[in-house]
Amino acid sequence: MRTVFGPGILAGILLATSAIVASAQSITVVLPEEPPSLEPCESKHSSVGRVIIRNVTQSLTVIEPTSGALEPLLATSWEQLDELTWRFKLREGVTFSDGADFDAAAVATAIERLQREDIVCNTKQQTLGGVELTATPVDALTLDITTSEPVPILPTMMSVVQVSAPSMPIEGASRQPVGTGPYTLTSWKAGESISLALRGDYWGDKPEVSDATFVWRSESAVRAAMVEKGEADIALVIAGVDADDPQMDFAYPNGETTRMRISTKVPPLDDVRVRRAMNLALDLEAMKPIIGSEAQLASQLVGPAVNGFDADLKPFGYDPEEAAALVKAAQADGMPVDQTITIIGREGIYPGSTEILEAMQALWSEIGLTTEIRTFDTGNWLRYQNRPFPEPDMPNVHTDQHDNLLGDATFTLFNKYHSDGVNSTLHDAEVDALIEKGEPATGAARTEAFQAAFARIHDDLVADVFMYHMVGYTRVSPRVIWKPSVSTNSELDLSQVRMAD
Amino acid sequence: MNLFRRTLLTLFSLVGLFALVFFLSRVTGDPSYLFLPVDASAEARAAFSRAQGFDQPVSIQFFSYLKSILNGDFGTSLRQQRPAMDIALEAFPVTLRLIAVSLSIAFAGALLFGCLAAIRPRGIADRLISLVSLAGASAPDFWVAIMLVLVFSVKLDLLPTSGLGGPAYWVLPVFVLVLRPFGLLGQVVRGAMIQTLSAPFIKTARAKGVAEQRVVFVHALRNAMLPVVTVAGDLTASLLNGAVIVETVFGWPGIGGVMINAILQRDFAVIQATILVTAVAILALNIVIDLAYGWLDPRLRTA
Amino acid sequence: MSQTDPAPLARPDRAAPFRLGRMLLRDPAPLLATCVLLVIVFSAIFGAELVGETATKPNFALRNAAPQFEHGFAYLLGADNLGRSVMGRLVLGARTTIAIAAGAVVLSLSIGGALGLVAGSRPGLLSDVIMRLTDIIMAFPSLLIALIVLYLLGPGIGNLVLVLAVTRIPVYLRTVRAEVMEIRRRPFVAAARSMGAGQGWIMRKHLVPLVLPTLFTIAAVDFAAVIIAESGLSFLGLGVQPPDFTWGSMVASGRGYISSAWWLAALPGVMILATTLSLAVLANWVRLATDPAQSWRFFRASKGSST
Repeated sequence: MRTVFGPGILAGILLATSAIVASAQSITVVLPEEPPSLEPCESKHSSVGRVIIRNVTQSLTVIEPTSGALEPLLATSWEQLDELTWRFKLREGVTFSDGADFDAAAVATAIERLQREDIVCNTKQQTLGGVELTATPVDALTLDITTSEPVPILPTMMSVVQVSAPSMPIEGASRQPVGTGPYTLTSWKAGESISLALRGDYWGDKPEVSDATFVWRSESAVRAAMVEKGEADIALVIAGVDADDPQMDFAYPNGETTRMRISTKVPPLDDVRVRRAMNLALDLEAMKPIIGSEAQLASQLVGPAVNGFDADLKPFGYDPEEAAALVKAAQADGMPVDQTITIIGREGIYPGSTEILEAMQALWSEIGLTTEIRTFDTGNWLRYQNRPFPEPDMPNVHTDQHDNLLGDATFTLFNKYHSDGVNSTLHDAEVDALIEKGEPATGAARTEAFQAAFARIHDDLVADVFMYHMVGYTRVSPRVIWKPSVSTNSELDLSQVRMAD
Repeated sequence: MNLFRRTLLTLFSLVGLFALVFFLSRVTGDPSYLFLPVDASAEARAAFSRAQGFDQPVSIQFFSYLKSILNGDFGTSLRQQRPAMDIALEAFPVTLRLIAVSLSIAFAGALLFGCLAAIRPRGIADRLISLVSLAGASAPDFWVAIMLVLVFSVKLDLLPTSGLGGPAYWVLPVFVLVLRPFGLLGQVVRGAMIQTLSAPFIKTARAKGVAEQRVVFVHALRNAMLPVVTVAGDLTASLLNGAVIVETVFGWPGIGGVMINAILQRDFAVIQATILVTAVAILALNIVIDLAYGWLDPRLRTA
Repeated sequence: MSQTDPAPLARPDRAAPFRLGRMLLRDPAPLLATCVLLVIVFSAIFGAELVGETATKPNFALRNAAPQFEHGFAYLLGADNLGRSVMGRLVLGARTTIAIAAGAVVLSLSIGGALGLVAGSRPGLLSDVIMRLTDIIMAFPSLLIALIVLYLLGPGIGNLVLVLAVTRIPVYLRTVRAEVMEIRRRPFVAAARSMGAGQGWIMRKHLVPLVLPTLFTIAAVDFAAVIIAESGLSFLGLGVQPPDFTWGSMVASGRGYISSAWWLAALPGVMILATTLSLAVLANWVRLATDPAQSWRFFRASKGSST
């Protein structure tokens, strides 16, 4: 594949190796970073997830990326027995790649492994929150899962639980994942590459790709160059500016939504007129090319695929005169609008983030607001993201990007907008009540309560500087046929990749 | 120069450095923010700190760490959950190979072209060499690196973009790494040589009829080496701390990238292990350079 | 500089500046270098008055416009990723750039030089301490130093200059120390000392001409390195934050656009390069021109160029 040799030598090599037909089905994928481990319970870390989810390990349920519907995978069906207990029927004839049978006991072990106390487990922390799961095998292929508190969407939550084999060591983050997926890990050259190969005894349909090698380059231009040159077949995530070849580059909504969180309790930002003015002052349409022309203006922190999304909310639009008038009005009422507002940024949170903040600063100065930008590294930025806030009296707008992976607004609303939410700067009794009303509810009542909360946050409270539903870009070599989807940020399902010839 | 005393003093530096790194890196923030999800509660973070021992006073952490070092345990990476020293020792040889090749080329080139430039200061050769070397030394390395990839791998299709492999894979990273050392050293050689070539002992050598090439490359060069060796040492030290840009652009898994990531992720065990590895190399290098002074100038050796 | 004259009793030559000036006018390369530096210093002082809103106000319609004549003089060198005049920003950015780079280089050169002098001339405990501290600084990753300074001292341009200066001290220190140690052991220095010459006189007479060329060379190249390093640290929030910027941060923000709009990073890179080159050329020239052992080259060279 490499073209360092002259054509003659290359032809010689091709002749010599023509016996290895299988190599025609091997692909190379270039990622932005090396995974820290391949621990199934760290699969929410995108660098881990893109290698193992659906390829090495699988889950009981999956969310279909396009429709957002929940579908069976390792479980074939499920039902709720009582408020706390769910019964899952497991798929028959599935084995782990180490030969062990996939059964209720294996899933119980995997769930236990997920909840162990000795190491940090992202899945447990992030998705299961404070909820304890107890898994009890009923028979070989029937499993009861009991939760410590009512969870109406447990089957959805199970879509992020990667089922690891019972043989996986209980301690430490594993570098050798064993699962039920179509591929097994064949090698991991630290710092260089990870290779997966197709299993002979996979339970499902045989994917076309027989071998996949993952490499990583942190520079977007280099990732794009590798596909252009044929050194890689898929570059997951390249910057919009590098996506300049319509033949190879695909834009896709990546599920992320951006906002500037406003410290709504600190003057002058406690005045809704100032908050509205900050929204009206931004020419978001004109700024869009900075982060990607295919992005959509957002008026809530979740996208259309998420239960609770309110399609009726409309962006504020660009109206600098109105914005300046609102600031003046607030000033006339004694609001300290001349106070410096800090714009908190995080380098590289998304491509173009620094330019976006600079543009905001310039546009806000047009309506008479003074701002200063403070950029932080991730570690420092996170301190300002979470309560208790380091400088609670500092009027600020805080760069935030959010991805609701599970498709239900509850995973957004509580943390971001409830008075007790860890990331929340909002204290509004009505929003709190709507969130609390929606969480235990199901069906339309749940959806409507969440929609009402988003409407209150946007229309009445103007709690954020609302920004974009973001797009990602991938570059795909003409050698393969594959299209990115909203799930591409968290996984790369190799079985979806077809060879062009 | 008493080598034993010098080594002993260096050990003080090492211990001092290590203590400083240990205590000061812990000033740079609570790792629980980075290791737990963004919505983790304050209780979850406290539990994490307890589990990792970060709730202990730093001095207690320090001494228990020293104790485990004596048992050969340099701690476990929080991010990768494997021994931190393994991570450092996997990455270090990659960096070492890269800078050994680059610096040898830069050093040889700087000596040759620096001397050529110094033979006739302000001549055509001098002006050309100075322009090229200074331009290389002051160009932003990431710009050069990405430009080279776009031109030589994509447009001209001559070289692989990045990655580890045969000689072709070395060309671009080595070229980028050579630029600054070559430019700086070349100018230092030139400056020192101009000075030396007008010294009385050179005039004497010329008067004695020693061949001009021998005058320049043997008599004068050896006397001009003092600042060259010092600056070369400094350049080597800064590259030992990581040729980060080159490593990240070209995907070479060297120690610089590992160290930077560990610092940004507050993965303390890896910070400590990588600094320990590079510090041993840098401090040893400083000893070698001090020895080289003695070799270059016999009068220093008698100290 | 007249101390380097071979005749120790020569009085300061009052005509020297004029003679140097006349020599400069006859010599195109250093003359050009002087002009470049004068323009940069002029921009640094009057830049804010020279450029209008085109350098600071976003103009999304002109985003990443290539260098061209169509949009008027202000956009001759194109527009940046927010549609601001690149030329205007090069002029406007001169002040912060020069302040930071000059601050860091001068600070590290003077601290390093002074400590190197001490460490070289007085072997003993003090010298040992200085050298071991230098070891520590050399082995300390600069990113970690920057983070520590940020957390302990807070953000600010002064602290940024401090970080940049500290990391560059060792090279000046070790260079000066090596030369001092070498000079101290030369036979003629021992002779001079026995004849009652002071340490200061010896250092001025012999050390300065020996060590200055190296120091100036390092300093000129460091100027570029400091500017690039500065832009590499800005993501920590340590130093320059928008709306302030430097040529270094212009290069850094053009990084993502190298394949689509190369001039965004290249033009400020050229400014950094031009400054470094000019500094180096001028430093070299001043040294040669004031060194009696070298000045014969000028007469030959100028004769050659005039014919």
